Amino acid sequence: MMLPSGIPLTYPLVFGAILFGMGLYGALTQRNAIRILMCVELMLNAVNVNLVAFAATFWQAAAAGQVFALFVMTVAAAEVALALAIILILARREKHIDIERVHLLRW
Amino acid sequence: MDVTRFAFLALAAVAVVSAFRVVTAPKIMHAALWMGFTFFLVAGLFVVMGAEFLAAAQVLVYVGAVTTIILFGIMLSEAAEVRGGRASVAAAEVPQGSTFWRRHVLPVVATLAFVGIMVAVYTSVPWPPMAGVGGDTVPQIGRALFTTYVVPFELAAVLLLIALIGAIVIAIRDDHREEQGS
Repeated sequence: MMLPSGIPLTYPLVFGAILFGMGLYGALTQRNAIRILMCVELMLNAVNVNLVAFAATFWQAAAAGQVFALFVMTVAAAEVALALAIILILARREKHIDIERVHLLRW
Repeated sequence: MDVTRFAFLALAAVAVVSAFRVVTAPKIMHAALWMGFTFFLVAGLFVVMGAEFLAAAQVLVYVGAVTTIILFGIMLSEAAEVRGGRASVAAAEVPQGSTFWRRHVLPVVATLAFVGIMVAVYTSVPWPPMAGVGGDTVPQIGRALFTTYVVPFELAAVLLLIALIGAIVIAIRDDHREEQGS
């Protein structure tokens, strides 16, 4: 199974899985809120790689996968703007952004 | 080994290394710069895979906007922990008991299990017949965006507007209330 450009389909898929795994590991282990946000962005990007690979191999005629990847980018941009605003106001109130020590919504 | 395959493998190898540095770089500023570099390499991968439009969008949105926003956020914040970073998990003290499991064992198990399962699925699943034809995808994307996917397209525009307004409302500095010592 090859992409039209001559790359085996498994290359981008395995790369996407590894990139997603990096983001997942970072999001689960880090305590800095901004770094968790960056890891989430990495995961969204890995999903985009998969979408582009599948679109190029199976659905070139409709380009549906690339349109979906475009929507993922839109949502990621909106998400990073809102998340960073929340993190900034958190840093202003608490003087730290360590998610282990944030209790604003818990009690 | 032909050129596109070599280009893909080279870009992917560097991208994996720089994605690893996003997680492990001791300073958060360096991690943000590594993230921008990773996004740039993924844009290169899009070009190699024949998605030029998405590569341009990736450079504009991720490298140009997301990385810049995060860098500005780090620089504008006064909390020492945001700027200094407090390093990666390995540098911090090793916690005991259930916290050790939650922070050091479970993430590794979950990540390795995820990657392993996905690679096993990719290598064993019977794929449907290939239908890709190659060639220029930009006109197809434009046509699909304004015919089949016009409603999600408009909703994405509304979403961006709401996110813009929401970010301003959340992050605006309320000096009046801060003077009262909220």
